[in-house]
Amino acid sequence: MSSFRFLLCRLALLSLSLLPGLALAQGAVVTTEQVRAELVAQAPEGVEAGKPLWLGLLIKHQPHWHTYWKNPGDSGLPTMLSWELPAGVSAGEIQWPVPQRLPVGPLVNYGYESDLLLAVPLTVGPEFKGETLNIKLRADWLVCKEVCIPESGEFSLKLPAQAATAGHAALFEAARAALPQELAGAKVEAKLQGEGLRLLIDGLPAAWQGKTLQAFPEEAGVFNHASAPQQQWAGAQLQLTLPVSAQRSEGPTRLAVVLRQDDAPGGLRLSYQTAAWPALGEVAAPALQPVEPEAAAAAPTSILLALLLAFAGGLLLNLMPCVFPVLSLKVLGFTAHAGERRVLVAGGLAYTAGVVLSFLALAGLLLVLRAGGAQLGWGFQLQSPLFVAGLALLFGLIGLNLLGVFEIRMVLPGNLAGARAANPVLDHGLTGVLAVAVASPCTAPFMGVALGAALTQPAPLALAIFAALGLGMASPYLAASLWPGLARALPRPGVWMRHFKILMAFPMFATVLWLMWVLGQQVGIDGAVALLGLLLALALAAWVFGATDLKARGRTVLGALSLAILAGTAWWAWPALREAPAAAAQADGASASETWQAWSADKVAQAQAEGRTVLVDFTAAWCVTCQFNKRGTLADAQLVADMRAKNVLLLRADWTRRDAAISQTLNSLGRSGVPVYAVYKPGQAAPQLLPEILSVALVRDALSL
Amino acid sequence: MKTRRWMMTSVMLALAATASGIAQANATVGQAAPAFSITDSQGKTVSLADFKGKHVVLEWVNPGCPFVKKHYDSGNMPGTQKSATGQGVVWLAVSSTAKSAGDYKPPAELEAWMKSKQSAHSATLMDDDGKLGKAYGARTTPHLYLIDPAGKLIYAGAIDSKPTANPADIKTAVNYVNQAVGEALSGKPVSQPASTPYGCSIKYAS
Repeated sequence: MSSFRFLLCRLALLSLSLLPGLALAQGAVVTTEQVRAELVAQAPEGVEAGKPLWLGLLIKHQPHWHTYWKNPGDSGLPTMLSWELPAGVSAGEIQWPVPQRLPVGPLVNYGYESDLLLAVPLTVGPEFKGETLNIKLRADWLVCKEVCIPESGEFSLKLPAQAATAGHAALFEAARAALPQELAGAKVEAKLQGEGLRLLIDGLPAAWQGKTLQAFPEEAGVFNHASAPQQQWAGAQLQLTLPVSAQRSEGPTRLAVVLRQDDAPGGLRLSYQTAAWPALGEVAAPALQPVEPEAAAAAPTSILLALLLAFAGGLLLNLMPCVFPVLSLKVLGFTAHAGERRVLVAGGLAYTAGVVLSFLALAGLLLVLRAGGAQLGWGFQLQSPLFVAGLALLFGLIGLNLLGVFEIRMVLPGNLAGARAANPVLDHGLTGVLAVAVASPCTAPFMGVALGAALTQPAPLALAIFAALGLGMASPYLAASLWPGLARALPRPGVWMRHFKILMAFPMFATVLWLMWVLGQQVGIDGAVALLGLLLALALAAWVFGATDLKARGRTVLGALSLAILAGTAWWAWPALREAPAAAAQADGASASETWQAWSADKVAQAQAEGRTVLVDFTAAWCVTCQFNKRGTLADAQLVADMRAKNVLLLRADWTRRDAAISQTLNSLGRSGVPVYAVYKPGQAAPQLLPEILSVALVRDALSL
Repeated sequence: MKTRRWMMTSVMLALAATASGIAQANATVGQAAPAFSITDSQGKTVSLADFKGKHVVLEWVNPGCPFVKKHYDSGNMPGTQKSATGQGVVWLAVSSTAKSAGDYKPPAELEAWMKSKQSAHSATLMDDDGKLGKAYGARTTPHLYLIDPAGKLIYAGAIDSKPTANPADIKTAVNYVNQAVGEALSGKPVSQPASTPYGCSIKYAS
């Protein structure tokens, strides 16, 4: 019976609090399951014109429940008070104490736990006459722990006009101490910078210098509360950057921020002014204009164009320096089978299938990553030092194989080697896969655009674009295999092939050299040496297992030894190959610093505002086309001198390592890989993009030199 | 030479034009909305790209939240959904509530609850791991977004202008979603492209 009553009680309370109905007023106190709220007053000299008079809502929260500040942060609602007062008496604003940060998962709220007094000053005019001051208050508050409950209460209070009401003096005193104080003599300079509002604050108390402060912006719809403000002291000056919300709903020019040191009560309130805010969508990254939406109407025709260009891009990929060595292997295969038409056709088709399927697999991977919202683009795999090291090891092995240090059939288990020999079609398919793996660093002309387009298309179209790239890449070989005349035109097999094979090892090693350089950029000299060590151990193992003139016993002993060395080296090399923290060196930092500065969206915006033209080179150490342009066209002495004379700002965005800001900028330019060359002219929002392969004349033309 | 360069540029521009709507880490009003591909309450995969050419509304929902109840029990949210989908707008409800949260509803239950409120949404996206919510910067239930046919985010914020839990306020509030959809469909710029969302914190998986 009693438990049934208890249940009824709970249900009644629950319905009261859940249905945002009123908690019943019992005079000055309202109690819910989450808070005890009481209307209190302080009138030490009675209720009389010109005398101090304060009202306050005292909220005592149950443990872990909280209510909100005037800016509640990412969610929540500030407590609202509506007063009913006799003629001649008016209530002022709530005096909000300095709040605390209340994290809720990845979100952040500002509010109060435990005991809180929301004090309100009352003004009594001469018209007020009477024995008692009758006060009615309706208060609405949102109280949250994991769940949120909107609650409200009605309060009433009668104060004698003649006598003092001072029972809660200590409470009001404590509330006053918890208020943020206006700081006289403080100077705040505000400037919108990139994704944040930067405040330069002078005149803070000396005792605060060097301390980490808590900052609470008063405006609800402007800032991104979830990411903590950045702060930095320069002597007595505090530099505070408040991250601006990408979904800013307000743009006030008068703002205020409350600062608190540690958990000391109270704090300081600084008000400041900003210039007019840019329109929405420009705040997050002033230099990034989305692609004009009206041009999207042309989409259907450009789909066909995208497919065509992807095909052409694939075709050109064959000429790229990092694909060529592998394709030379294919040439060797052709000459061996010249004349056997069926073998050739099957081989060509298998190669094509291998290439196209690999591209589709890559596209699938990209689509999966894209769905995950990852900030990735073409060539991203080369931003991982481990991937670069793996690729270098693979090329090292291929080189050793070409030199004859080991033969594939000696390394592979007998049955697999047999399957390969018996199944040349599979072999051709695998060569196709390899060719694609190798081609990934080389973004041929048009490929960047096609990929950028592909990344934005629905999945089937994106896959089609990748397939077209693959077809383009495989087409010369397919053509040669289908048209024997072409294959017959190739040189006859002979002794030259052995020499040619060995010769081909050198481009392989050159590629290893290049990858080593990329790795050095990413993780420094230690990483490069670690990779060299691994290569050495791998070469030893390859020789032991591949050499034909070792006795069985010797091979067992040496084999075990070499594997132990390889494992040991891998264990030693591993930490050096892991991605190092941001300390990594900038590519060509020293030599380039004078002419080229490091890119940032701010610099672009600032230069544009100053009326300067900006050329941005989006580049990466592992991008061969980028290096080609960088050392060729962009290093042309006359061009550089002319650009300097015209005061063109040259910025280099180095994407060798992962960089979210650069990825985002590339995305907004409709690209997902490098190279990209963008010319920003003053007064033009959208940049002009130059082709992937530059010429001096082309750059001159774009910059109107 | 000059013509060739011009052709090259225009070809690139045409291609770049198809490239609006790329995934970004943070949804920004006036820029491309983050792309997504996610499972709905029926187990089907739903991608933003599927709706190219249509307006899309995203609505963050959690039946346990009093503010969500305010707009469903009063019929305001179902009414807004009906009006939008009746004009060809795709309406996607999103649940980013973590499975570990007390008020998590499994897909079938969530769908049943919405049906019981005469909801007129097109699909319910199950974002249990919170990735979609975080990509859009969704903070509260409800929190609403409108994406235009080119994939650009054109509204982000509250359902209406009165941030209270009191259903009586609906009548006098400006329904920002109705307003944005109406303006967008008649080719006008959205007059209020962002507002401060109000409601319960989304209980993200941490």
